[in-house]
Amino acid sequence: MIRLAGRGVSRGRVAAEAVVSAQPFGFWQGIDPLTGLVIDRRHDAFGQSLAGKVFVFPYGRGSTGTPGVFLEAVRNGCAPAALVNVVSEPIVAICAILADELLGVTIPVVDALAAEVLARIPTGARVTVDGVAGTIIVE
Amino acid sequence: MELTAEDRSQLAGDQGEPVALAMRVLTRLGDVYGAERFIPITRAHVVGSSYQICGEAGIAIYERLVAQGARVRVTTTLDPGSIDFDHWRQFAMPEHVAQRQVRLKELLEAMGVVPTWNCTPYYFANVPVFNERVAWSESSAVVFVNSVIGARTNRLAAYVDLCAALTGKMPDFGLYRDEARRGTHLFLLEPGLEERFGMQLYPTLGYLVGQRVGDGVPVIEGLERTPSLDAFKLLGAAMASTGSVAMYHVVGHTPEAPTREAALGGGTPRATWRIDAEEIARAVEERISTAPPGAVDLVALGCPHASLDQLATYARLIAGRRVADSTRLWISTSFMVAELAERAGYLPVLRQAGAEIIVGTCVVNAPLAGWGFRVMATDAGKFAYYAPANLGVKILFLTTEECIEAAVTGQGRRRPA
Repeated sequence: MIRLAGRGVSRGRVAAEAVVSAQPFGFWQGIDPLTGLVIDRRHDAFGQSLAGKVFVFPYGRGSTGTPGVFLEAVRNGCAPAALVNVVSEPIVAICAILADELLGVTIPVVDALAAEVLARIPTGARVTVDGVAGTIIVE
Repeated sequence: MELTAEDRSQLAGDQGEPVALAMRVLTRLGDVYGAERFIPITRAHVVGSSYQICGEAGIAIYERLVAQGARVRVTTTLDPGSIDFDHWRQFAMPEHVAQRQVRLKELLEAMGVVPTWNCTPYYFANVPVFNERVAWSESSAVVFVNSVIGARTNRLAAYVDLCAALTGKMPDFGLYRDEARRGTHLFLLEPGLEERFGMQLYPTLGYLVGQRVGDGVPVIEGLERTPSLDAFKLLGAAMASTGSVAMYHVVGHTPEAPTREAALGGGTPRATWRIDAEEIARAVEERISTAPPGAVDLVALGCPHASLDQLATYARLIAGRRVADSTRLWISTSFMVAELAERAGYLPVLRQAGAEIIVGTCVVNAPLAGWGFRVMATDAGKFAYYAPANLGVKILFLTTEECIEAAVTGQGRRRPA
């Protein structure tokens, strides 16, 4: 069991299976909001489901329409359960804040973790994310 | 964040639940990114306008806000929607998307927005001045107003932009502050690129710069002539597609970059690159294009939405000729520019030639995959980046002149250098 301390970006606490990517990710044209599957063919998580998972990726990129797609996934029950980043750019942070404030769904977000440490977390590991303490625990 | 009495009163719901909700979102955002206070913003441009982006969640959220009496308190323009409201049948856009997009339109209008349905609010209708604090989404418009006008906005996102519009304020962080506007990466251009590549230089350069700097603030040095409004537009839109660039400097030509030192704010760039003609030529043919020269079944122009000048150019190039039977020529723009172009005589010429005008949306926002196009020619870096996912096409990246030739002959070819 490894405990990593970063920064809490959005509140909540959840334990779930991890999907780990080494590449930046954009939710717009990156996730199918009806299924939670990654649809970006250029991405290393292509074809995996993010629904209910702890999604670990270095940082967000892409369209300013991102929260639109993200909240549609939340509404359909197939958004990630938590997000873990090296750096959560504002567009990623805001997805979780909006899910909480607009839809009442808490998706903890923790960032400020080293890329090489995150890359060593195996996909499928059980990860606990605490968005208030700013920590993650990898089992 | 340090909150004023007015901020606290708004948070407490004294101005209604929509304002309180918006203040909760903005306060949390400000706390995460180290803002110490709110600042007033005077204008907003919102992207939560497209059904393809916001879906049923967007309709549900807006229905609740409208029921609670939400009203924007600054001039707030709208990004493109998912359909052309007047011609969606002509482009075979699905009826259920059209119906839900009309519902989004009713809800947004009920909140008092200005329904421009365009990605170029800076042409007119919503034009900030130097130093003005605004709250903008639409990555290509964000990068334009920060870089070319010197107004200030962060790269906002769907719903956050509306929170700013409902409250008239934003937390003071990022590009609202001087330190974040300093250049971080330096690009030194070989002399003479403008003569060699013409307008195609700008989207190509933007595409390359965005891939290298991520969310940095690039400084470009070596352009001899001041780029036109359309050149700046194409440069920034490409940069904001391949990267998360929200601001750039062009030394000697953008308002916060009279010199290299000023653009870098006295700092040292994290990296410096030289860009020469060979790299630009290679990017045009290999990096941005995914299809070789040959048959094209769609030519798409107008990304970001075509300006009046661009429509005049397209009309001049195609006057008296005819789009090939094997090809479609689709040009996207806003209804305001389309109306002027109609009166100026450009649209009649384009229609006569068989071009079709898409109003208020475009090939990367509207549901058009059903057409089954295979190869799309375009002169825009942003279309080149996003169209493959939305339409399933391969891209042939050409000059504007070559695009018109491709539309007329059905064959995309490059003129010899």
